[in-house]
Amino acid sequence: MEKVLMINHQKCTGCRLCELVCSVMHDGVSNPARSRIKVMKWESEGLYVPMSCQQCEDAPCMNVCPVKALSRDEDLGFVTVDYEVCIGCRSCVAVCPFGAMNYNIIDRKVFKCDLCGGDPQCVRFCEVKAVEYVNADRVSNYKKKDAAERLSAAQKEGAALQAAM
Amino acid sequence: MALNRKIAYIDLTTGDIETKPIPLEVRKKFLGGRGLDAYLLLNHTEKGCDPLGPGNALIISGGILTATCASATARTHVMAKSPLTNMLGSANMGGFFAPELAWAGFHHLVIKGKAEKPVYIWIHNGEIEIRDAGHLWGKTTTDTQWAIREELGDEDIKSAVIGPAGENLVTFANVMTGIKNSAGRTGMGCVMGSKNLKAVAARGSMDIEIAHPVEALEHNKHFINQITSAKVNQTQGALGTPFIWGATNSWGGVRTRNFQYNQCENADDIEPERIDEICEETMGPYHMTGCFGCQVHCRAQYKVPSGPFAGKYDEGPEYTSLGAFGGEPDCKNAETVFAGNHLVNQFGVDNLEIGSIISWAMELYELGILTNKDTDGLELRFGNDEALLEMVERICFRKGWLGDTLADGGLPAAEKIGKNSFDYLVQVKGMNNLHSDERGTPALALNIATASRGSDHLRSRPAIDLYHLPEKVLRKIYSSPIPYDGPLSSEHTAYEGKPWQVYWQENCYMAVDCLGICKYHTVFLGATLPNFEDWPKVIYYNTGLEMTPEEIWEVAERCNNIERLFNLREGLERDDLKKGDTLSHRYFDEPCRRGAPDIIGATIDREKFTKMIDEFYEHHNWDKNGVPTAETLERLGLDKEPSHLI
Amino acid sequence: MAIEKEQLSASESLRKTRTFGKVRCHNPSCMERIQPAPGANHAKCPTCGMEYRLFWVNSTLPRIRGPVWDVNRKIAQEKMARLEAAASKKNGKKGGK
Repeated sequence: MEKVLMINHQKCTGCRLCELVCSVMHDGVSNPARSRIKVMKWESEGLYVPMSCQQCEDAPCMNVCPVKALSRDEDLGFVTVDYEVCIGCRSCVAVCPFGAMNYNIIDRKVFKCDLCGGDPQCVRFCEVKAVEYVNADRVSNYKKKDAAERLSAAQKEGAALQAAM
Repeated sequence: MALNRKIAYIDLTTGDIETKPIPLEVRKKFLGGRGLDAYLLLNHTEKGCDPLGPGNALIISGGILTATCASATARTHVMAKSPLTNMLGSANMGGFFAPELAWAGFHHLVIKGKAEKPVYIWIHNGEIEIRDAGHLWGKTTTDTQWAIREELGDEDIKSAVIGPAGENLVTFANVMTGIKNSAGRTGMGCVMGSKNLKAVAARGSMDIEIAHPVEALEHNKHFINQITSAKVNQTQGALGTPFIWGATNSWGGVRTRNFQYNQCENADDIEPERIDEICEETMGPYHMTGCFGCQVHCRAQYKVPSGPFAGKYDEGPEYTSLGAFGGEPDCKNAETVFAGNHLVNQFGVDNLEIGSIISWAMELYELGILTNKDTDGLELRFGNDEALLEMVERICFRKGWLGDTLADGGLPAAEKIGKNSFDYLVQVKGMNNLHSDERGTPALALNIATASRGSDHLRSRPAIDLYHLPEKVLRKIYSSPIPYDGPLSSEHTAYEGKPWQVYWQENCYMAVDCLGICKYHTVFLGATLPNFEDWPKVIYYNTGLEMTPEEIWEVAERCNNIERLFNLREGLERDDLKKGDTLSHRYFDEPCRRGAPDIIGATIDREKFTKMIDEFYEHHNWDKNGVPTAETLERLGLDKEPSHLI
Repeated sequence: MAIEKEQLSASESLRKTRTFGKVRCHNPSCMERIQPAPGANHAKCPTCGMEYRLFWVNSTLPRIRGPVWDVNRKIAQEKMARLEAAASKKNGKKGGK
């Protein structure tokens, strides 16, 4: 079964440890500019949203690549870049609807999430579980459960309010 | 070697900028952060220099681990001669600034001179530019940061800025970054304002090399487990630092009504759980946020729930906000705490100092030492929430006689107010104490009396002394890395063995500040958190520098001695009530009147206290006056200061 | 670098001394460990008699939210009165000499 990153931005504390460990894991250096995951911030409102590759089924980056440098990993299902073939035209960067295909000016290369070969470090280090690695078909179940819990809590609150009146 | 980091010297008078690599020899002697800053300050300022003159050096830095794959290396350190104390100025803040500065190419900045007009410094991938800040002058701390981002077109810029308080040369103004991270103590924002420097903005995408990345990553995971599994950090993560104020208030260890009482009774509305409820009501269930790379997430998010600032987003309130706007002025309203916290964050002023100084003025007003004429008719009584918030604004903008007077800091204000106002000022070396009461805890009293930046809990406080840990646990902690077989007491009321604990903590906190990590990641509030024995691996994996626990201890000792040399140079005398290692007479003369049964009646015993100071000096191998002996300086390689290695 | 891999540091070895589900009495020279019933919002120290309100950070981590104020106030006043009485007695003796 293919697993995917499931991001719950509400839980994110904005610490950016995921960005740090991503760059250390892949490039052996600390540099968020090299991170495959990035926490987008609205600091004046306290809103933090981690963004990473969705490993789309019908991936625009794969479709647009003029030299077919992008392919899907057969074991883990993520989209991967073959640097032997890539010409660095950045069409994939332009077309990605999530901004998840990155380009860094240090190596002058595109780069993206490869799920760390099945042990994503962003997930391993996120203690608040804002990023989790779950089976693709379970994501909606988790969301259902979350929503159900909120719904039930709201109902209880409503009932308590009514009882108090 | 992975440790190829740079320092920049910036002269705002001439506009000259010089950058240099930091030599390995210097790293081995001082590591980085506060320790190296202290060395730079001693070497780059003249004795007796005017803190607000061009000769003062403003030093901004990260630690040796900043931006590496170590846990919570978020701390930014700011140092200069303090306009509040006229001695060592030093303040430390979390957030994201120091790591960004590192990715932009620099670990230390030494800023001297004075710009003719308001400017800000823009640091980007190894390049430094001094830019006009005319359009930023007058802006609040957050507006300044957002305006810089907009001007330079990059949302990821991190800035260390001053607000109106720094511009108006309030002697306890902050340097700030983000919404609320503040280098708050000793008026570093005032020094920045005196240089006409509104902000230092940084943005970078340069690599920070990690010496052994695989090991660094694995070890970081292990380290984080050790940190987040501590109960104290789980509580911090849920309630933030208000929990410390709450716990301390519970037994009677906080200050209220300017030290008249040691417990704020019936303060249910400002208990940490209530504060947390309001944060949750306004920001939802996940309202805790963290500094760079930190999994403790002790900072709360909130919107001001009601009143004139209703709906404004902010972060905190911390222990000191509860003390400043709740306990000390005896206000006890959550709304006031949230509003006060918002004001100090926006104006950029030390909430601790401003809370204490207003409470001091409140006591003076109630005693008749200050009158309605002095306050321009303001009823400056304890429990008057409106007057409290009004005074914050008056001080930050130096409005009216009293606002202007208090903005100069406690000692000058006491001189100006006259009468016996000084007797009521609870300060050490000209700086007010945390809103805590140390009369029942001799070890903590020794800590604030001897702290290098004036009355301060983050220099050497053995906070775990209150946990009554068994002696064998204390011995395990305090007899490493340097063997110690003297007395150690589990009893917090004891005087025996406390000087060693304070001495050990002093070195521990110095090491932490040199590394650039947070004190919640060491033996501050939790006994099981990492210390000397745990750091060699972190340093080695990340920087390649090989250091034993004993060597780290020695660096800390060296750096503490440098701070001592600086303070002695600037006039520290052991028994001087304004510049010495002393306490206000109130600690000795006025017994605690509230709190748990065993704290009531507590005072500090003057004779035993003096003996503690003697012992404390002996542990340092300082003489009776607290001056490092020639032997000590030689052993630490400090016998030829200033030595101008960098 | 000679880094001993498996040897525990002092702080690491102290981790096993942690206790769960308990709070320490806030009366500083009592500091008795109190084990409240799970989820309880109130606890009384069996040793010194102080009474506390509780909050649960999580299901195994209780913390003292604060004292029961009435009890706290009463104890404080009694203690203060005793101290003052003792002090005036002492002063009285001095005056008589």
